[in-house]
Amino acid sequence: MDKLNKFIEDMGDKITNKIDKKRRFYFNVKNEDLRDVVDVLWNEIGCRLSTATGMEMEDALEILYHFSDDETGQYYCPRLVIEDKEKPEANSIALIIKGAEWIEREIFDCWGVNFIDHPRMEKLLLLNHPDKLDKTMRMEGAK
Amino acid sequence: MGWYNKRLAKSLWVFHVSGSPCNNCDIEILDLLTPKFDLERLGIKLVGSVRHADVILMTGVVNKKVAPKIKRIYEQAPKPIFVVAVGSCPASAITFKKSWNRVDNIEDVIPIDMYIPGCPPKPEAMIEGVAKLIGVLNG
Amino acid sequence: MSGNKVPIGPFHPLLEEAEYFELTVDGETVVDIDLEIGWMHRGHEYISEMSTFTQSIYLVERICGICSTSHPLACVHAVEDIDNIEIPERGRYIRTLVGELERIHSHLLWLGLAGHFIGYDTVWMWAWKYREPILQMMEIISGNRNHYGIMRVGGVSRDVELSKIVELHKHLDMVEKKMVMIAKIANDDPVLKKRLKGVGVLTKEDARNYCATGPTSRASGVRGDIRIDDPSDAYDLVDFKEIVLPNGDCYDKLVVRVLEILESIKICRQVLNKLEVIKGSFWNKVENIGVGEGCGRYEAPRGEVFHYIRSDGTNRPIRHKVRAPSYVNIPTYEASCKGISISDALITLAAVDPCYCCTERSMKIKEVNNKKVPNLMDLSRGKTEKLRREING
Repeated sequence: MDKLNKFIEDMGDKITNKIDKKRRFYFNVKNEDLRDVVDVLWNEIGCRLSTATGMEMEDALEILYHFSDDETGQYYCPRLVIEDKEKPEANSIALIIKGAEWIEREIFDCWGVNFIDHPRMEKLLLLNHPDKLDKTMRMEGAK
Repeated sequence: MGWYNKRLAKSLWVFHVSGSPCNNCDIEILDLLTPKFDLERLGIKLVGSVRHADVILMTGVVNKKVAPKIKRIYEQAPKPIFVVAVGSCPASAITFKKSWNRVDNIEDVIPIDMYIPGCPPKPEAMIEGVAKLIGVLNG
Repeated sequence: MSGNKVPIGPFHPLLEEAEYFELTVDGETVVDIDLEIGWMHRGHEYISEMSTFTQSIYLVERICGICSTSHPLACVHAVEDIDNIEIPERGRYIRTLVGELERIHSHLLWLGLAGHFIGYDTVWMWAWKYREPILQMMEIISGNRNHYGIMRVGGVSRDVELSKIVELHKHLDMVEKKMVMIAKIANDDPVLKKRLKGVGVLTKEDARNYCATGPTSRASGVRGDIRIDDPSDAYDLVDFKEIVLPNGDCYDKLVVRVLEILESIKICRQVLNKLEVIKGSFWNKVENIGVGEGCGRYEAPRGEVFHYIRSDGTNRPIRHKVRAPSYVNIPTYEASCKGISISDALITLAAVDPCYCCTERSMKIKEVNNKKVPNLMDLSRGKTEKLRREING
């Protein structure tokens, strides 16, 4: 619990909309502050990145990251809301965490989000698919 | 061709093709070679290349990316070749009916001679399928 | 002759599923590896949004045949996390029993395949023969050898009868005797040690950078086991150890799995003893799931399985995300395959225990045309023979 409270204090107004449940902590973060928050979670607290979930809402796209602190069993979930649905973009964290490469490629594949500064921004699951599909999980359906 | 089929039935060589399965049926197929069920005493063995095979064992609900490759494998196989589809997935696609990535009719990809349903089919059911195939080949 | 590319095509005789690697080989040493996946994609997350919560449990079971308990367990944990639903004690013990039996049979399966790849065919036959008592125990508990359909939101769907517990203990005895023997082989055999020690090393730093989980990272010195860190079901009511080894090579990965089988047998015995005395219901039936989101996870035989579910108060999830452990473990090939010799390529690729159908919930195939591809299985078994002759003189 101390680690969690210290994290909330240190981040100050970079994190908003906090939801605190038993061992799960959800909060919103802006694109400019994403890399700072991830840096603190990865290097200071020593979390491991489980995965990132992409979601489409009525008015925005959301990417929810999931960081696991293996010593206490606590989950930290930063949420990034992307307003622009036509050309969605987000800062890539693949240069901080190598394991985020495939995770971000899958979100690019299924939702079309372009990650800035990603080392290899290409499709993962639908590479060389015979039907030339794109963005299969978006509401308009597969193009 | 009757005499040829009888020779074939004495020792069938099997090639296993996985067309987007969940792997349960594949593991149950490998289980048939282990000491409890031991199909090798009937002369059946798994081979590494389709050019040596007499029977193709197919599993899985075939998805659109895999379908052209399976067709190619069927074309490479020396005829006569029998195709046995193992599991409920090729027979009726069970839980994957609504998937956008699946081929509508597997028989458009390759013709299938025998279905063994089950999720996964028990080893005893697969042995019964093999026995029926040998019976059909024997006339 | 640098940059010679060896494609290991999707339909390879020894690989269960279709996966495509391209190894770049310089003489005898592998310098680079490239992976392509995408052939098993069946669209689980898409179908899940059209199914109810209970139907989703049957759907996620069929993501993978070997992780047939891990995915439903993580899925019900996620749904229960939305509303903090309590599970009765007997239900918790039954869930733990099914989960640990699955761990035993999955590790035995891997042990058999690893033995087959390096030329110990007897280990293959014996490991798979002693999976049969475990599958029979599953049939007694749930009615099917695989794909049990026993998990429900709030508990389990059937009870374990008291009259069967003696029979379950007998099956466990059969497996335990042989496992102790296999553990001694892994410890004493000099050929096995020479063959596997120092092969395909994944350093502690790389294991952390790629966010690897499960035995892959525990064999490299990075600790992390969800049964201890974030316990649910009955894991905080039983006693067991976490196995962490420092070297990160194929030998350590083998030893971690063998010792985990012995720990799982210990847990199963404790659970069976408790099931004889604890009475009560095994299912806390839930009528409605409220609005909210939940993260659920479980320590599968290969690592951490993660499910995320978001609900809007109706009877279907609006978003169901699945992340299987092989998704983060497979990219570690880029680090562990550099610098190994080509005859070790096969066992290094297999040591991570990849499950491609879990990874992409997808699959792929490609054909090798007229290239003379070295037969990796023969190279791997040939190296073991050579070492055996050297050691035995």
